[in-house]
Amino acid sequence: MGNSKLYKGSLNTIILKLLEEKGKMYGYEITQKVKELTKGELKITEGALYPALHKLEAEGLLDVEVAKVDNRLRKYYKLTEAGEKETVNRLAELEEFIRSMQNLVNPKWSIE
Amino acid sequence: MKLTKGQIEELYVFTRKHYVEHYDLQTELVDHLSNGIEEQWQYNPKLAFDDALQVEFKKFGVFGFMDVVEKRQKAMSNRYRKILYGFVKEWFQLPKLLTTIAIFILFFLVLHLKQASYVLMGLILILGAVNFYHQFKRRKKEKAQKLKKGKVFMLESMINDTGNGVSIMLFGNIFNVLQIMRFNFSELNNYWLALIAIAATLPCLTFYITAYVMPSKAQELLEETYPEYNLI
Repeated sequence: MGNSKLYKGSLNTIILKLLEEKGKMYGYEITQKVKELTKGELKITEGALYPALHKLEAEGLLDVEVAKVDNRLRKYYKLTEAGEKETVNRLAELEEFIRSMQNLVNPKWSIE
Repeated sequence: MKLTKGQIEELYVFTRKHYVEHYDLQTELVDHLSNGIEEQWQYNPKLAFDDALQVEFKKFGVFGFMDVVEKRQKAMSNRYRKILYGFVKEWFQLPKLLTTIAIFILFFLVLHLKQASYVLMGLILILGAVNFYHQFKRRKKEKAQKLKKGKVFMLESMINDTGNGVSIMLFGNIFNVLQIMRFNFSELNNYWLALIAIAATLPCLTFYITAYVMPSKAQELLEETYPEYNLI
């Protein structure tokens, strides 16, 4: 998508929000879920997703769990307590950003 | 249709071929590729394993796994630094604080000597030799373990390599600087000497922690970082 740059900055928030809803998820599941939710409009590329997950993990916002599934090991991500708090903050920030953008793009003119 | 054990093993080989050295990241990518391949098989069960793999790999872009590896290393270095900082902090709290103060006082007193440069160079040589012997012994043990296990985690490499790096930097560089300068520290006033003694104490602690403390706690640190460590 041409507008992927607009989404890029919000990737971390999207991941946090998904994990808040689903509890725990693995990498492939997250890419699929985002595709499904946005009906293909936003495709998280693999090259961007894993670095984002690893960064959030290193920051202590995500915790990992590993389980054996179909002959292989699967790594699940879930929010830590700090991650839960951060999700609330980042969602608030994102909403604020969306409001500001709306005002910029579509200003409500009024004559006083 | 699910992947067989042999095909999973092939995927591990594939990631290694594409410069993913460490088992933790290999495992995550293997699961990702497997999920992608299995999904393709749902729509096209006749698709060959290798063709399906190429389709999935292309999704990572022209640089393949390189970006993921690089960023993972960066994230893990952050984590390593945090762990190191936690250990360093211990040396500024009682009871270890007493040892830190003792090292500081020792440096401070040595710096007052006219032959301080020579004493320090001698100290570095002795410590360097002892360290070299210990590292050599540990390397041998590690190599044997690696052959046995065949799987190396990223943090494990960092714990093993950083200690060596720090000691080479410390012993090599400081020795050279002292030798070239042949500086007479005893001419400086006490404030400068105290400052230099602090500057000498910190690398000493860092060296001891990275080369001895962290490797000795590697097992514990790896279990904390990797839930899969005990699964393999």
